[in-house]
Amino acid sequence: MTKRITIERSFDAPIEDVWELWTTKEGIESWWGPEGFMVKVRKLDLRPGGDLEYAMIATGAEQVEFMKKSGMPPTTELRIRFTEITTHRRLAYDQKADFIPGTEPYDVATTVDFHTTAAGVRMVLTFDAMHDEHWTKMAVMGWESELEKLRKALQA
Amino acid sequence: MQMNVFETLADPMRRTIVEALLGGEQAVGDIVDRVDIHQSGVSRHLRILHEAGFVRVRPVGPRRLYSLRPEPFRELDEWVSRYRSLWEARLDRFAAELNRRKKARTLKGKERRS
Repeated sequence: MTKRITIERSFDAPIEDVWELWTTKEGIESWWGPEGFMVKVRKLDLRPGGDLEYAMIATGAEQVEFMKKSGMPPTTELRIRFTEITTHRRLAYDQKADFIPGTEPYDVATTVDFHTTAAGVRMVLTFDAMHDEHWTKMAVMGWESELEKLRKALQA
Repeated sequence: MQMNVFETLADPMRRTIVEALLGGEQAVGDIVDRVDIHQSGVSRHLRILHEAGFVRVRPVGPRRLYSLRPEPFRELDEWVSRYRSLWEARLDRFAAELNRRKKARTLKGKERRS
């Protein structure tokens, strides 16, 4: 049983553009923030062990209201740490997952693989667990395929 | 102790038992035959799974038959879907930005040619 979630997307675009969106301040700010949030890159140290520090700022009316109701400031400072950078091939980083209710924050490792194809770029994101004390909790992520099996079994 | 769905499934033995139950309702003995765990271990983990709402028990004569309940799996499923949809939305913006760049370049190219 795998302990991973993978998400795959293909883009009709040159690898240079795709890479830039991941590795430049301007590129990251253009897409990284969730809906209704703006991202401002504070620091970008693009090397293994280097950090990307950024602020996530609620800008949508709904999101601003949500943050207020939850007693959170509209701006959240966040950080990810790069673990691998292979130009136009692979990017890997660790990020603290702190959005799961009732669970202490823990690191989630993300790997992004870029495959240059005739049609453009196929990008594969893999979210894996770190082998720390919390990795077991992440193991359930691998349940996705099992869940499908289960759903069928329960419907039968 | 009330465990959440993550903690319950964090144990590899419990995952093995749940997998054994994917095929349908079974008695403890059948589960023991299918997994490489001692009977007392299977019983203990079944009790934990039962308390956490993962399995239901049905007594049939002297036998107790165990089967899976869908509710906790739905909870897990929702969690994974939320994580996934967050990324899907992000990647929609990623694709939009790539298109914007491409268009900007085409436009620039045209200007240069004209």
